[in-house]
Amino acid sequence: MADFEPKVVAFLCRWCAYAGADLAGTSRLQYPPNVVPIRVPCSGRVEPSWVVDALQKGADGVLIGGCHPGDCHYVSGNYKARRRVYLLKKILPELGIAPERVRLEWVSATEGKRFAQVVADFVEELRALGPMKVMSEG
Amino acid sequence: MEVLSQVEIAFWPALADSKKADLEAMPKGYIDAALINGAIRTQENLEMVRLLREKSKLIVAYGACAHLGGIPSLANLYGREELLKAAFGDGWRPGPPPGAPQEDAPPELLPKALPLAQAVPVDYTVPGCPPPAGLIGEFFSAFLSGEMPPPGHVFAKVKALCEECPRTREERVLKKIVRPHEIVPDPEACLLDQGIICLGPVTRGGCSAACPSAGMPCTGCLGPTPKAGDMGLSMVSALASLVRAGEEGEAAIPSENEILDQLVDPIGTLYKYGVPDMPCAKEGEG
Ligand code: SF4
Ligand code: SF4
Ligand code: FES
Repeated sequence: MADFEPKVVAFLCRWCAYAGADLAGTSRLQYPPNVVPIRVPCSGRVEPSWVVDALQKGADGVLIGGCHPGDCHYVSGNYKARRRVYLLKKILPELGIAPERVRLEWVSATEGKRFAQVVADFVEELRALGPMKVMSEG
Repeated sequence: MEVLSQVEIAFWPALADSKKADLEAMPKGYIDAALINGAIRTQENLEMVRLLREKSKLIVAYGACAHLGGIPSLANLYGREELLKAAFGDGWRPGPPPGAPQEDAPPELLPKALPLAQAVPVDYTVPGCPPPAGLIGEFFSAFLSGEMPPPGHVFAKVKALCEECPRTREERVLKKIVRPHEIVPDPEACLLDQGIICLGPVTRGGCSAACPSAGMPCTGCLGPTPKAGDMGLSMVSALASLVRAGEEGEAAIPSENEILDQLVDPIGTLYKYGVPDMPCAKEGEG
């Protein structure tokens, strides 16, 4: 599995995590290039079906980045996102998907370094988990 | 509606003495409409519906199992080997009874139980478990009058069940999730508002909200509305918006989780009539 490069789809809130990712980029911080960032208006707007869709269509992991508690631009979108992810993670194992493939993180616009670290950790964890398996026999 | 006087039964194994050979003898497209119920679970089911497809002008998925996979498709949460082991014990292989010829063996299980549309092209769907009389009537009047809706039509509403439910929904915040037997629900208030998981917001209307009218939550037998798409995931979204343990904030997280944990058997509750088709094998346990 040494040459397995996990693919990560990252739904990033434009007010915080997306800006944090930007900062990581402009500060020339090193982080794995495995991430496809998707800018969303708020972590609370990320539908569970998007997450599952991404995993069904070839992502090995999904990262949702939102504002720290108390900082959501829409007051409570990040709390809703947290409850969604909490419930989703109860369902995923029964559908045959390791819940560790979905990760919710709070990253502020100034935390470029933290963003790079979160991505690096996640990619390592996914690498250990291996690729999403395709059902061959059942 | 008088249907039987207006149709000729060409093939009905459950009621008439009809054999596969009778079907094979028919010319292509001989049957005007084949109403097929049940999930496609075995190789024999698959051969039969392929044959029916060839001999019929229209294929109608009839009932929740043909429409969505139904309760039999909950077995798709497990692999075929696991299923055989759970049902028959270790080491058992499907085969003929001792001493009997191979042709007496039970039909081979497919890797998954399939909704009909995953086995053959389906023209129409009459959903439900069982299909409500009104929707069966709608299908037959359209069919017998020759005025069928465009192919692909599901004979149920596009709008959610809540719209036809006599209960009043206020989208109340949920401080608890309960199972139907744990409370005596208020007769007029929405069941979901009272903490009972009712799938009305994500299920097609068409049954006049039969279950909520009788005091039981909708379990989703008419299938998801086109807007909901995936029933369970849409419901996860809805529940996450409704559940609150007082003021939101970091301090409330443990009590919010406690409420969310009250959702017993999430898969069986949110996907009773068909689990989403996941391209992956079971992970986590090895
Ligand atoms: S009881 Fe169910 S169907 Fe009726 S309004 Fe409430 S959620 Fe909708
Ligand atoms: S209320 Fe729901 S479960 Fe009951 S018949 Fe109608 S769609 Fe089916
Ligand atoms: S605006 Fe960033 S999580 Fe809501």
